[in-house]
Amino acid sequence: MTAQAESGTDPAFYEQTWDLSYRHALGETTSRFLAGLAKGEIWGRRDPASGRVLVPPRSYSDRDHTPTTDWVKVANEGVIEMFTVVYEPFRNLPDPPYALAYVTLDGADTALVGYVKGLDLSDREEAVRRLAIGERVVVAFADEPTGTAADYWFEPAGD
Amino acid sequence: MSKIPAVGVLGSGQTKFVTTRTDVTFPELVREGSDLALADAGIPIDEVDAFVFPLAPDALIGVGNGERWCVEAVGASGKPFMRVNNGGATGMSAVITAWTHIASGMFDVVLVAGADRVSESGSAQSVLNKMWDVGYERPVPLNTITMLAMSAARYMHLYDSDERDMALVSVKNRAHAALNPYAHLRKPVTVDEVLASRDLAWPIKLGDACPASTGAAGLVLVSERYAKAHGLRPAWIRGLGQNTETYWMGDRVGPKVVSDHADADALGEAFWHAYRQAGITDPRSQIDVAEVYAPFSSVELHVIEAAGLAEKGQAPKHLAEGEFALGAPGTIVNPSGGVLCTNAIAVTGAVRVAEAANQVLNRAGAHQVSDARVAVASAIGGDHQFYSTMVLSSDLEEIA
Amino acid sequence: MTTRTAPAPIAVLATHELVAPREDHMSLEEMIFACSSTVLKKAGLDHSTLEGVVMSGQDQIDGRVISCMPSAGPAGGVGRDVTMIASSGDHALVYGWMRLLSGQGSNVLVIGWSKPSESVSLAHSQSVSAEPFVLRAVGMNDTIAASLQASRWYTPDAPVEDPVSWPLGAEDLPADADAVYAAVLATADQVGPEGPIAWIRGAGWSTDQYDMGSRDLTENTPLRQALAQIEQISGVPRARTWDVVEIAAASEPAVRRAAEALDLPATARVNPSGSLRERPAPAHVSGLGRMLAALDAVGKGEASHAAAVGLHGFAGQGATVMVFSGEQER
Repeated sequence: MTAQAESGTDPAFYEQTWDLSYRHALGETTSRFLAGLAKGEIWGRRDPASGRVLVPPRSYSDRDHTPTTDWVKVANEGVIEMFTVVYEPFRNLPDPPYALAYVTLDGADTALVGYVKGLDLSDREEAVRRLAIGERVVVAFADEPTGTAADYWFEPAGD
Repeated sequence: MSKIPAVGVLGSGQTKFVTTRTDVTFPELVREGSDLALADAGIPIDEVDAFVFPLAPDALIGVGNGERWCVEAVGASGKPFMRVNNGGATGMSAVITAWTHIASGMFDVVLVAGADRVSESGSAQSVLNKMWDVGYERPVPLNTITMLAMSAARYMHLYDSDERDMALVSVKNRAHAALNPYAHLRKPVTVDEVLASRDLAWPIKLGDACPASTGAAGLVLVSERYAKAHGLRPAWIRGLGQNTETYWMGDRVGPKVVSDHADADALGEAFWHAYRQAGITDPRSQIDVAEVYAPFSSVELHVIEAAGLAEKGQAPKHLAEGEFALGAPGTIVNPSGGVLCTNAIAVTGAVRVAEAANQVLNRAGAHQVSDARVAVASAIGGDHQFYSTMVLSSDLEEIA
Repeated sequence: MTTRTAPAPIAVLATHELVAPREDHMSLEEMIFACSSTVLKKAGLDHSTLEGVVMSGQDQIDGRVISCMPSAGPAGGVGRDVTMIASSGDHALVYGWMRLLSGQGSNVLVIGWSKPSESVSLAHSQSVSAEPFVLRAVGMNDTIAASLQASRWYTPDAPVEDPVSWPLGAEDLPADADAVYAAVLATADQVGPEGPIAWIRGAGWSTDQYDMGSRDLTENTPLRQALAQIEQISGVPRARTWDVVEIAAASEPAVRRAAEALDLPATARVNPSGSLRERPAPAHVSGLGRMLAALDAVGKGEASHAAAVGLHGFAGQGATVMVFSGEQER
């Protein structure tokens, strides 16, 4: 017999919200990438150990644990590597449906994540076909940049 | 092959896992895990030398450094105590941490006990979105479902697999969970029901996904000298491994990819680390039971392959032939129903070890694999990033 | 506890710390990469020869929900065994030591961090570490808990100037900083002819109840338990042979009381690396930072035996003690 059953009281609840605020230092590499978005440019960093161009750019390669060496501008189009279409609402996340994909831009060796917009997602079969791995997309940029990674997204490259 | 110090799992306990518990606070729930483990091990709390507390994000229970709040509940006041947080792998990393305490030679009895109440947070997936990189990824609504939906999409693409293959995993595990009194989702399902369940994030549907569970679990680990001195017969830990993948999912694809997000290659390395220590050379013939961490049906496919129980891309074929299910010949995968049917994040990895220990001790109840002697357990944390593995057996004889 | 053998000596090959009052130019992950790269280089290692990583961070202070995720890679953990010991930075150093004692490899990187400048309001981020039902409602935090503890020691003849939270003034309280602390530990066979910085001779750690109303805050109970554990298991040089003790606590009165509890020789120096204000450190890793300071004292030959004490949690709920020596003797 639980204490609750013994006492005959209903369970109580205490609502608490963590509205913690942060001002994250992004560092110089991320800052430069975000500044590039305002100019319609996507930049990566070269990992000297593996020769890979890392997009999004990082000041170090975690796989080799070495600093990256130089900036490389990559194309504003590329190929879908993986994707999903979200149909379930999650609190504080956008209203579904929306599509997300990782895209390897031409000239990059790693994939960048972003929304895929410009698709009718109400027809699931059609959406999944248009988003298939290997399909090409182009990068679109916000008209009024916010200085965040929300300033770009992908759109189908067209037929 | 290198032998490791002999450490045993003497006992373990689990509460029945449910969606919510309104009759206890979080520390009171932790206490249940501690009490159940000690009762099963048959030793009093005074015998415990040190404590390891598994707790993944503080945010899910809503208390920072939540371990400090639970010290007296777990029974650790005045004793060595530390907390592990390796994301979803936390529960098994905590058992490995407890193993380390004993293998260091300094302790004989270590208790791992904890709990989770994922539903205490109003929105677990919104909390879990904050796992991602502050500069690049947080503006995109990634979460634990979408990250694994993308892995599933790649698996389907690379291996010509489909949603029906995923559904086979759910059907098997739900049938197993129906036999497990502690499991959260215990209603059997059919392939058609899984395929007809609502879309969460394509290709993952509700029927492919784990629940958000509330419950507690604990394990008591003992040294070989303690077991001998007291005439005890624990399940022996024969091998263990941990390995880490890059945080960047976009680095797991592309022209120079090292290990593909479709697969779990770094987990495979962790499995083989444990296998080498245990003397396992042919997992398919030497392992009776696998309790592997797979919160979505799609994940179990590549974990089965990483564990060496199927070639890459071949898990669906074996499943379709009825393998891995209770009653089938060969290795039985997730006889408890697995994470797909019960996921109280902080202790999920610990439950894998507890189930594996019960199997090799022949105490698993209705979901016992007959004549099980060798079991493997695994866990996954972060964005498919932190991997833990462990091999257990009923004795310390060579694994032939 | 049954009879056991004293732990084998484990060497500290290198330490490094990156401390800034407020680091605006590097992300937290970049700080971790910089610190990890430097300490590995000092130890004569790199990612290819590193065998394991033990980490510690506090999610709410840094604003990372599972902070091992973004940090494992920059710490050097890709392709390696990584364990995050989240309860405090000092526990991470203890765990790195135990990893080697247990035979898991021949070296390990221990790295702990905290970047309070990420929080818009540090006090707010700290406030969620109070349990929600009673303590959060009264705004409990490290400073208030330290003040409640200090009130037990307060004597009317000691005037309190400029109190932040009576009876503690600004001079009594730690200065904050953005910090990453790292150490590379190795088994004895890995030590080159130049020798290590120091040898780890033993460690003890204990955690008391959370509820301060159930504890005697003046007694330093977890510290005494940690010391007893060291003597019982490791049998290391007792406190009366220590030349230097570095103590991390939430207030200077707590440092003084901890030092008194140690039964040190009259010649021992307490916190020679600086007071809590002179040596800024964020709470989560302040104990680890003091352990590095004690190692530094041994490495520079300023102490043949040095120890560090990390007190963490409200009013020193937990205590960790590690003892270091210049000589390897058992």
